[in-house]
Amino acid sequence: MPKCLVCYKWTLDEQDIKIKPEDLSLDSSRAKGKISDFDRNAVEEAALIVEKEGGAVEVLSYGTAAVKLSLKDVLSRGAEKAHWIADPSAENADAAVTANVLAAAIRKLGPYDLILCGEGSSDLFNQQTAPRLAALLGLPCLSFVQKLTVEGSTVTATRKLEDCQETATVSGPVVISVLSEINKPRIPTLKQVLGAAKKPNEEIKIADLGLKPEDLQPKALRQSVKGFVMQRRNVVYKESSAAENVAKLTASLASEGLC
Amino acid sequence: MADDKFDAIVVGAGLAGSACAYTLAKAGKNVLLVERGNTAGSKNVSGGRLYTYALELLEPDLYKRAPLQRKIVREQVMLLNERGATTIDYFNPDFGENIPQSYSVIRAVLDEWFAAEVEAQGGMVASGILVDGLIEENGKIVGILTGGEEMRADVVVAADGVNSLLGQKAGLFPDVKSHAVGVGVKETIELPDNLINARFGVTAEEGAARVAIGCTEGISGGAFLYTNKGSISLGIVFNPEQAAKQQRHIQDIFQDFKMHPAIQALIEGGTSVEYGAHLVPEIGYQGIPKQLHREGFLVVGDAAQFGINTGLIIRGMDLAIVSGLAAARAIIASPSTAEMGALYMKQLEELLLVANQRAYQNFHGIFEISRIFGGYPKLANDAMQFMFTVDGKTPTPMVKGLLRAVKKHATFGQMIADGWKAYRSL
Repeated sequence: MPKCLVCYKWTLDEQDIKIKPEDLSLDSSRAKGKISDFDRNAVEEAALIVEKEGGAVEVLSYGTAAVKLSLKDVLSRGAEKAHWIADPSAENADAAVTANVLAAAIRKLGPYDLILCGEGSSDLFNQQTAPRLAALLGLPCLSFVQKLTVEGSTVTATRKLEDCQETATVSGPVVISVLSEINKPRIPTLKQVLGAAKKPNEEIKIADLGLKPEDLQPKALRQSVKGFVMQRRNVVYKESSAAENVAKLTASLASEGLC
Repeated sequence: MADDKFDAIVVGAGLAGSACAYTLAKAGKNVLLVERGNTAGSKNVSGGRLYTYALELLEPDLYKRAPLQRKIVREQVMLLNERGATTIDYFNPDFGENIPQSYSVIRAVLDEWFAAEVEAQGGMVASGILVDGLIEENGKIVGILTGGEEMRADVVVAADGVNSLLGQKAGLFPDVKSHAVGVGVKETIELPDNLINARFGVTAEEGAARVAIGCTEGISGGAFLYTNKGSISLGIVFNPEQAAKQQRHIQDIFQDFKMHPAIQALIEGGTSVEYGAHLVPEIGYQGIPKQLHREGFLVVGDAAQFGINTGLIIRGMDLAIVSGLAAARAIIASPSTAEMGALYMKQLEELLLVANQRAYQNFHGIFEISRIFGGYPKLANDAMQFMFTVDGKTPTPMVKGLLRAVKKHATFGQMIADGWKAYRSL
């Protein structure tokens, strides 16, 4: 009966973020929060495992004060207890800081048999949290998992690699990152939504994690965030012969250093 | 709290549902508010103006907490012909004096706030939940069905909108009739506040509300425009039967309206951020179903087809709030479910909702006068053009010129008939 912990991130819904045309800056003032997409798959997978094998699912999140808004949602998806760390440091945290904080919390809360993460977050998509967590905790890591089977203490995972699938087996505690195709997250039912309000949640203060200041110092510093807008040149070559058009096109591409 | 039984389940976190759940929760009732959208307001397409008295009725000063947009101080009526517009503009910065008369609102924002207020009062709010049906036992409604689950309550309040599925399931009324509703489309257009202020002659906190006729190609209907903070809500509502007969698509009529020079100038430089379509209860008192309750079941808001459209004033949100309040008061005051329906009807009377609806009960007769939506707006513009034209030629005598403008669009016989019909409808 595995004891599962799912790490999830509360991100802004990218659908609500607008790009300001004047300076390409992002306007997220009307953006609502959501559980990062792949993390929702991770919660679902843990819930499915526990429904089949028994055990328990807890969830853990590190974020700004907004992380509290996630509790009702995440607890309606099958988790029994939520642990949350709300700290301003999350605003600029890179994957290293996130993994440091989560690993420290897991040492405090654990041990767990299965630690599940989404493949990457909906906003930054660094795809680093799971492998970093595994390294910090000294556990094996199975990333990019599209199929997962748990039998007793044996975990069998099908990993999706660039040009092949790999099946790996691990015995004992493991960190896993899942892909979106692994399952279809449930839409919580009314009773699950109502039940979520009664489930326990516990705040962990970052100060109680015994982290050093450098653990919270991001190594990758974000300089700016800008929207991406494709700009087209809108050049049409209208010479009479195709050869001339091609010549003009290649000359134009060459002048841009593109061929 | 018992897990599987509530005092009341309110279905739909629009204004009627939230007003009802808010009042019940405040009175200590164990209430569940269920919403289909992922957040309250996310499914809403409603235009944009709330008459503030209704919130005041619910709780004094509640409107001060609500995320309202601009206080409406300009009421404008636009009569359009092909390229021209005659606009009547009434400005009153003190409209409503102590309690402001009305505000423009953005429902996605307002509804989310309202649902949070319900939670703050101790009500349970569950969003992202689609209610599939009702549980009926011994002729009473005793709960709802959702996703294969049952949830029970002493009373279910249907606040599920104009196309009320629950009202139909309860057997109180059939599916909506096409003559009783209008089809509305609305677009939210973002525009910097300084442009809104300049184009509508308002200050930062003030706004304008505008209705327009003559923009529906003779089809019974009209357009509306509300100024919000940083955006404009622009929409058009019309009779779907007539539009179908003329084989006109709503999006084409709406696009033509937006391209009208007088409208284009107002929205130029804006960005369309939202577009939606919905049904609107349209025929007022006569559209309200005869039966709005059965034991364990009350119908409120748009679901009960509460709505008033005078051509100048379009009301629905205020009536929704008042009806939600009426239902809550009935539930609180009833010793058992048997008396609730009658008490609800009594509350609708006492809160003057019925009197308001009845006052305009024949009003939609006006909208059967087809010239109101084509001939008369054109007439007004032709008369204006005649009166304001200076070209150095010998002027046509005033009366003759005006008569010419009139005769182009209607005979005296038609005008007398229309006037009589209008008089009888008022």
